[in-house]
Amino acid sequence: MSGTVAMAPQPAAEHATSWRKNRKLDQWIAFWSVPFFFNLFGLVFVPLSWMMPPRSPGSTTPHIVDFMHSHNLLIACVILTLAYGLAPVSNACYLMQVRRMSVSPAFRYSMMIGAITGAIVGMLFPMFCFGLGAFRPGYNSGVLTMLYDFGYLAFIGSLGCFCVMWMAFALAIILDENGILPKWLGYYTIWQYVTELMAAPVWIVKTGPFAWNGLMTFWFAMTLYVPWQIIVYVCIYRAIKNQPEAELDNASPELRPKTVEFRSGTSA
Amino acid sequence: MNTRGQRILLWTAPPAVALFALAYLVFPVFSPPLSPTLTPDQVAAFFRGNVTGILGVAILGNLIACALVPLFAVTAVQISRAATSSTVLTYAYVICVGVGTTAFILADYCWGMAAFRPERDPQLTSLLNDMAWFFFIAPVGTIMVQNLCFALSVYLDERPDPIFPRWVAHFNVATVVLLAPSAFSILYKSGPLAWNGPLSFTLRLTTFAVYIAVMFWALLRAVKYQGDDRVVLA
Amino acid sequence: MTNVAEGVTPGVDNSRPDDSGRGHVPGDSSMWFFVIGDLLIFGVYFVGYMYFRGQNHELFLQSQARLNLDIGAINTVMLLTSSLFVALGTEAARAGNRVAALQRFWIALAFGAAFPLLKMFEWIPEICSGLTPGKNLFFMYYYVMTGIHLCHVALGLVIMCFILRHLKTSKAPKISFVETGATYWHMVDVLWLVLFALLYLMR
Repeated sequence: MSGTVAMAPQPAAEHATSWRKNRKLDQWIAFWSVPFFFNLFGLVFVPLSWMMPPRSPGSTTPHIVDFMHSHNLLIACVILTLAYGLAPVSNACYLMQVRRMSVSPAFRYSMMIGAITGAIVGMLFPMFCFGLGAFRPGYNSGVLTMLYDFGYLAFIGSLGCFCVMWMAFALAIILDENGILPKWLGYYTIWQYVTELMAAPVWIVKTGPFAWNGLMTFWFAMTLYVPWQIIVYVCIYRAIKNQPEAELDNASPELRPKTVEFRSGTSA
Repeated sequence: MNTRGQRILLWTAPPAVALFALAYLVFPVFSPPLSPTLTPDQVAAFFRGNVTGILGVAILGNLIACALVPLFAVTAVQISRAATSSTVLTYAYVICVGVGTTAFILADYCWGMAAFRPERDPQLTSLLNDMAWFFFIAPVGTIMVQNLCFALSVYLDERPDPIFPRWVAHFNVATVVLLAPSAFSILYKSGPLAWNGPLSFTLRLTTFAVYIAVMFWALLRAVKYQGDDRVVLA
Repeated sequence: MTNVAEGVTPGVDNSRPDDSGRGHVPGDSSMWFFVIGDLLIFGVYFVGYMYFRGQNHELFLQSQARLNLDIGAINTVMLLTSSLFVALGTEAARAGNRVAALQRFWIALAFGAAFPLLKMFEWIPEICSGLTPGKNLFFMYYYVMTGIHLCHVALGLVIMCFILRHLKTSKAPKISFVETGATYWHMVDVLWLVLFALLYLMR
């Protein structure tokens, strides 16, 4: 059959001596953009602008005004404006694994929509809130405080978009019969959802452990969130690596895309 | 499989472009583009004096905000046709388009709000105007990444009969470079990088217009030659 | 499919995903990962609560006095009873007695569903009389902890519905699924006992 004959002249490619010949190059490029993006994000938010760890909602007005006027905030905004397009790519990495699972496409569509909303309310908008005060120093302190509040509340208090993402992701992993990602990761992802519930009080109080910089809502949530974020990408790394080449979209010898099918299995 | 759906969606793009062009030409805020150096009082005075024009375009902008989405959707379909190992590029593209479109809508809202109650405190009107400009000019990050995803899909396409000629990918990469300066508009109130300057404003909008025209042509061609080829469900 | 092991019961699927033949952990082992982790998360809240209570003893005592102890106690009984019937139902399912299992799970569901209902009778008057989460630190802890717990209860009720449907419609009900759900529900119950003691009872 033409299939077996055509597959024969590819023995060396298995070892992928040159990374450019890697069959999964698109997945790997997408994947490796993620640590780059997260590190950039971390550098911009912490040592560059000191937006994180979050300042206190209870700060005095002069402190707020001072912070909002800092030139580093503007530079942080510029870098983020250039780089934030990579957030969709990091979300696409989740989606590409969920697509391999035996669950309905509705899960990954929910995640996609959640990712879009999240990138806007959780990143784009707050980013500009912080840049505006530094752009035009003449604003009165009331306006600057409002921007400060809007920025932090949007960064830390955007809940629902991520609730739907983590719920769909967790359910997809737990219900998946193809074992793409480990089941315990699905349960850990439920706690990601719970961290959104835990963050809800930031909209209410301005001091204490439940403020947006509080022990329970920020620091504890971080101890749950950061390991998850790292672990999920380690699992995705393994999933990409272990994906059999025969399963790839470009695996067919004629290199034709497959016919429309519900590759994800029984349910739609 | 007939590609009628894609062709219909693609042909919504020319009327959309015409409407965007109309909005651009008629918008008081753009002719000439408001300078970032205006004081809040001057900005407030401007909005007070141009309520009808600004509101009219804001409403039009609101209505046509997503009018180019079908073109991007067809692009996503064509990306998923590329013989790459997964649909990761399609997903990233779709999410980028969603985010980028929202930024445009937010800009439109901010201008609309500034004109809605022109007797507002000038500081607030100026703030809204600043926000609008920021959302309109600066968020190039998603357009850049979506074009890179598209270019990657072309470069990595292993098909013997590629969907797009390679120069379309090169063109997309070029747009990424040409759009990048706009991100720096946040740093300057005058000069070529300011939001009304030749790099951040003129170059960005011209690049985008040319980009839409080129992609329209390239997509029409791709859909025409799609033939019976079906796409992978993404 | 049944395995050749002790307690083989006809008509019941006793196989489990990680069957090594040694003593078995009831239910999916991933659920235990979740249960233990969840207990740890709540544990952090409990510790935080105790710490801040120590710092603000008077405030906490006064606020606690305004809680509705009656509803709290009734809710505790509801959950305990529900858990009891879940345990009995699991026993019946293991023994292959589908009718009894279904009955007991229905009763468990009824008692469990009473919990959120009663909670509304507790919370709504409280909020209307100004005892909101923002009022002071005690009430924030109270609403956050019982709120997250309530979400767990809601999830548990959903899981119970799936168990009921599974017992009703499947030819050979998978016991590991029933056990997984039961494990979760018992965890929810244990959490409530601690919450009740900390928030309502402790002086």
